[in-house]
Amino acid sequence: MKDLFIVAKFTIKDMIKRKSFIISNLIILLFIVIGFNIPNIMDLITGKNTQESGDSNSSANAFETKMLIVDSENIFENTLTNLNEMNLGYNFTISNENLSFDNIKQKIENKELDEAIVISKKENQINLEYIVKNLSMVNSVPESLVNALTSLYSNLQISKLGLTPEQIQSITPNFAFEMKQTEEQEVQGNPFVIMLISLVLFYAIYFCAYQVSSSITTEKTSKIIETLVTSTTPRTIVLGKTIGIGIVGIIQIVAIIATALISNALFLEEGILDGIIDFDNITPFLGLVTLVYFVFGYAVYALLYALTGSTVSKPEDVQSANGPVAIIAVIGFYLSYFTMMNPTSNLNQIAAILPISSPFCMPFRVMMGIATPTELIVSIAILVITIFVVAKISIKIYSQAILNYGSKISLKEALQMYKNKNV
Amino acid sequence: MGLKVENVSKHFGSKLAVDNISFEINEPGVFGLLGTNGAGKSTTIRMILGILKKDSGNITWNGKPVERKNINFGYLPEERGIYPKTKIYEQLLFFSELKGMKKEDATKEIDYWMGRLKVDEYKNMTAEKLSKGNQQKIQFIISILHNPELIVLDEPFSGLDPVNTEMLKEVILELVEKGKYIVMSSHQMTSIEEFCKDIVIINKGKTVLKGNLQEIKNSYKANRLEIDTEKDISKEIEKQNMKLIKQVDRNYEIEIKDEDDAYTLMKNLVNNNYKINKFELKRPSLNDIFIEKVGQ
Repeated sequence: MKDLFIVAKFTIKDMIKRKSFIISNLIILLFIVIGFNIPNIMDLITGKNTQESGDSNSSANAFETKMLIVDSENIFENTLTNLNEMNLGYNFTISNENLSFDNIKQKIENKELDEAIVISKKENQINLEYIVKNLSMVNSVPESLVNALTSLYSNLQISKLGLTPEQIQSITPNFAFEMKQTEEQEVQGNPFVIMLISLVLFYAIYFCAYQVSSSITTEKTSKIIETLVTSTTPRTIVLGKTIGIGIVGIIQIVAIIATALISNALFLEEGILDGIIDFDNITPFLGLVTLVYFVFGYAVYALLYALTGSTVSKPEDVQSANGPVAIIAVIGFYLSYFTMMNPTSNLNQIAAILPISSPFCMPFRVMMGIATPTELIVSIAILVITIFVVAKISIKIYSQAILNYGSKISLKEALQMYKNKNV
Repeated sequence: MGLKVENVSKHFGSKLAVDNISFEINEPGVFGLLGTNGAGKSTTIRMILGILKKDSGNITWNGKPVERKNINFGYLPEERGIYPKTKIYEQLLFFSELKGMKKEDATKEIDYWMGRLKVDEYKNMTAEKLSKGNQQKIQFIISILHNPELIVLDEPFSGLDPVNTEMLKEVILELVEKGKYIVMSSHQMTSIEEFCKDIVIINKGKTVLKGNLQEIKNSYKANRLEIDTEKDISKEIEKQNMKLIKQVDRNYEIEIKDEDDAYTLMKNLVNNNYKINKFELKRPSLNDIFIEKVGQ
């Protein structure tokens, strides 16, 4: 037990003191800080100063499109000012002047405007001319604009019919839409955000586990393993290394989350992330479940990588030896990732139970509120049993493979090593 | 007391790597474990150190089966290696802690041995910046830092320059004086002859010779004559139908079947007024014995 602590401590110190580790992590944290400063950077580029205004809506206004509506014939009879109350994501300016295309073009080039709509009437048809800087990214006139203008014009015409308020109300649609599902389980949270976080969790588990393989191969290729195995047991080396690298992985994740939270507090306007992440779904229990699945998922893949890392004698063989584990990990991830689009499906339930995919799946079933306690217990139990089985196999093969300096050990040879009772 | 290896065998698949090997080290000193490449030396060492399990036989240290808890050993493997990107002090501390040393004691020992082997200036450098010889000295320190009772040195002098070889030899003699049991495996027969009282030679996994080195050498009759004269004696050698092995100026090395042949030659030389500066009957060297036993 003491040796396990010594190996883990040495692994942690050895990793976090490396220049490559420090630099790569600083770059990641720097990117996070930059990411949270994108609104500020955009302010600098566009010359706006949304952060200093103190208006909580100002940052939102900064991203609104400046739209000019030219109604020189007053077809809408001054009702167009109502557009600004419709929260369409535009900052509307209404003009009754007869502005030419060149005038509008000039205003767009001067960045006084982003877009414009010119309204005109020809015979019985109302023409709407939609003017933007470049049409390459625009397929059609935005539907919200079309609906809003149609609604305004219809209401204007209805009001001219001399109807009583009751009559007007009876022909004005006042639908109350309600959404219901036939399945009993209700899914919470934004599935796309969940899938994005799942991707991040997969990479965190995968790359931390991959470090175990690299570390073991380095010890083997540098021949230090000869001295190491006479100083402690192979089991201690594998487990100590796995624990050490896992702790470094958790430190990295904590540093990333802390940097993100601090950056959010320092650089972003309050509430700007609420539209992207539903913070009500992020509970301490979810945090605990995610941590458990990160640790256990990492343990399964790290131990598999310990096995493959010990089977090669040359660094250039590491990738090919790790191939099978990488394939298992990718299958596990995609099984989880694609079934998350239909989280109440049986396949997603299976993904949450299978040890190769459950670390990438179950935390999000919990987040979506569809994981039952039984599912959670069964999934964790299977994962723990898998860790023990993989650890037993890996340590046994590692003990024999680690002192073999010949060519890469084949699957057949590895199986023979596992069957060898005299180890 | 000491190390006892009894009838130990080891297979790798269908290949018999070590076949019924036995030897004992009963008192402190250096024991020579000799053999050609692939003879089974490293396998034997790994079984002694408990890295590999034996198929059969017994290995005991002070009467107890060899297990980590029963034996405090140090090992300098033939395959040299230290962590390339880790500072020397940190890796020495790591290995000493694994061997059960407290940090304070380990630090003292690290300082002593780094000074003793003149590598103290590299304490805070990463290993990859050290020369091969200095890396080897660091690995030697790892093997003795924790004051082990049994030390296994696999090719301790290979790759070292003469100055560092002498330094290491002095340390080994110092360890012997301190009562350490040392198993030395080497292809440098002069080093074995210099240090070892007892040896075992293994070939293709089997013991081909073992025992006290001096007794082994004494059991061989003289088979060469070295003679140094002031005049050319080639004709006298020819007359006596003796085979000249090597001649450097007036120094001759001659194969002899019998010691009497050497004395007859000397008598003839004296009678013919040749002045003799050196006359030495030579027994086979360990190198000769080794080559004879392992058949090249």
